[in-house]
Amino acid sequence: MSQDILLIWDIKNKFYSAILVRYATVAVIALLFAIGYFLRMDIRPGMNLLIFVTAYNLAAHLIYILKKKFELWQIMALNIIFLFFDVCAVTLLIYFTGWVESPYWFLYLILILVSGFGMFSYYSLSVFIIAFFSALFYLGLLLAFYLGYLPIYQTDLKLTPQEILISITNKSLFITLSFLIFAVTIYYFSKLLKQHRQALLKKNRELLEMLEEMKDINRLKDEFVANASHELRTPLSLIRENVSLVEDGIAGGIGEKQRKLLTSSRENIDRLVNILTNLLDLSRIENRSFALDLQKVDIGKIGERALTDMEIKAKNKNIKMTNKMGKGLTTWVDPEQIYRVFIILLDNAIKFTNENGEVEVGTEDLGEWIRCYVRDNGMGIEAKAIPRIFMRFVKFDETSKGTGLGLAICRGIVEMHGGEIRAESEPEKGSNFFFILPKGEKR
Amino acid sequence: MKRILVVDDEPDMVNVIKLRLEANKYEVLVASDGPEGLNIARIQRPDLIILDIMLPKMDGFKVSRMLKYDERFKNIPIIMFSAKVQSSDIERGREMGADAYITKPFKAEDLLAKIRELLDAKEKRSA
Repeated sequence: MSQDILLIWDIKNKFYSAILVRYATVAVIALLFAIGYFLRMDIRPGMNLLIFVTAYNLAAHLIYILKKKFELWQIMALNIIFLFFDVCAVTLLIYFTGWVESPYWFLYLILILVSGFGMFSYYSLSVFIIAFFSALFYLGLLLAFYLGYLPIYQTDLKLTPQEILISITNKSLFITLSFLIFAVTIYYFSKLLKQHRQALLKKNRELLEMLEEMKDINRLKDEFVANASHELRTPLSLIRENVSLVEDGIAGGIGEKQRKLLTSSRENIDRLVNILTNLLDLSRIENRSFALDLQKVDIGKIGERALTDMEIKAKNKNIKMTNKMGKGLTTWVDPEQIYRVFIILLDNAIKFTNENGEVEVGTEDLGEWIRCYVRDNGMGIEAKAIPRIFMRFVKFDETSKGTGLGLAICRGIVEMHGGEIRAESEPEKGSNFFFILPKGEKR
Repeated sequence: MKRILVVDDEPDMVNVIKLRLEANKYEVLVASDGPEGLNIARIQRPDLIILDIMLPKMDGFKVSRMLKYDERFKNIPIIMFSAKVQSSDIERGREMGADAYITKPFKAEDLLAKIRELLDAKEKRSA
């Protein structure tokens, strides 16, 4: 089915090319006639013919524009009909412009060539059909004259029957043989072309099918992730609350040892919840079903809040935190999500910076954009790894804790805001993660 | 003592919320499906309602709408409570009059903070 549509589309395109070729040919011949007019030649019948050709070409053009959908047989029939018109027109042109001496028989060759480019679905054969008709019409014309049915148009040339016979034999033999050789050449070329095209089309179809399959698999995977994490939420919620109730002593008194164990359990459940939330959010970001709660806020304030919240973690490793937040840089963002980006970037910076290191957070005004950055002098990332770190499940190194979702979420959030996130890094010298957010009105 | 109505069809979930709220000096009413929740809300007039979305017989959206579009009960704050995290659900919850939306798994501190915030706001409004 799809092959048919492709074929129709293809032949329809050829039909259109033929229309264009016809316009061009008419224009060229009109130019030749114009020259003839200055040489005081009678060009009226020729011009009438050109008008006729232009008229049926316009009709073809109109059909092409108005009729959007073709059946295969319809478009092929149209091609045959209009090529047949062309053969008639060329024959008439030859008749009006000096019979055997007319130079216009080359137009037959153009027709054969055009038909060779695939006007029908069995396009190699169409070459022979057109070559056959061309030769038939031309020979018919010559024969009609020889037998006295047709006078030579507007000449007083008087020829003996002997001269006419020689002229006709030579000319017709020459032209018919030319047609034949030409047709054979075009036939083989178009056949070769067709084979290549078919091989290409087949490859193309295979690739398209593969792409569809991949899309399907991807969609299934997204659905699975979303459903699974959704279904896990309720039981996890219950476990967490039960543990938390016992831990807080609400369900009865417990000793210090038990409390420690329960705290550890609860913290690990929280980690699990966090991973789950990240997975679910990421799949929603990728499905574009994640809604931002946009507010006009000071970006610096969000950064400062994140900085304050991460201070304890930094203090534990004795890392110096520097605040370079600009004041009054406001734009439309979802504050919670941008806060999340800052937290993820700061958490990474602290995680990958040695004790006594430094982390700097800041914002810059770039005019149309606001640039936020988190810079550290930690272990850094190798240059070849940088392009991959924003992909999901990609970790800085295999031994590091975490799911490899953080930076993918950062990228998703920043891109949803119409911004971009990048990283620069040098091993052993540190990393600089920065993202830009557009200023301006709510989008 | 403030009274809070918890509507959820999962007994375990009702239990943990109930224990947590009672530990924080709230009186807890319980309903296990939509119509029951609506009935208790109308008769007992709790100070706040915690409402699950996926409920038997009548879902949380509908319960919320029936209360919020009724002059007598529209002042009772409603916290929607669900494992659904699609933004469309949150949006719909808001349309149906919910004052807040908390997703499972929830943190007790978050839930308590939200309850306190809504009760304070309600007191300010009526004062």
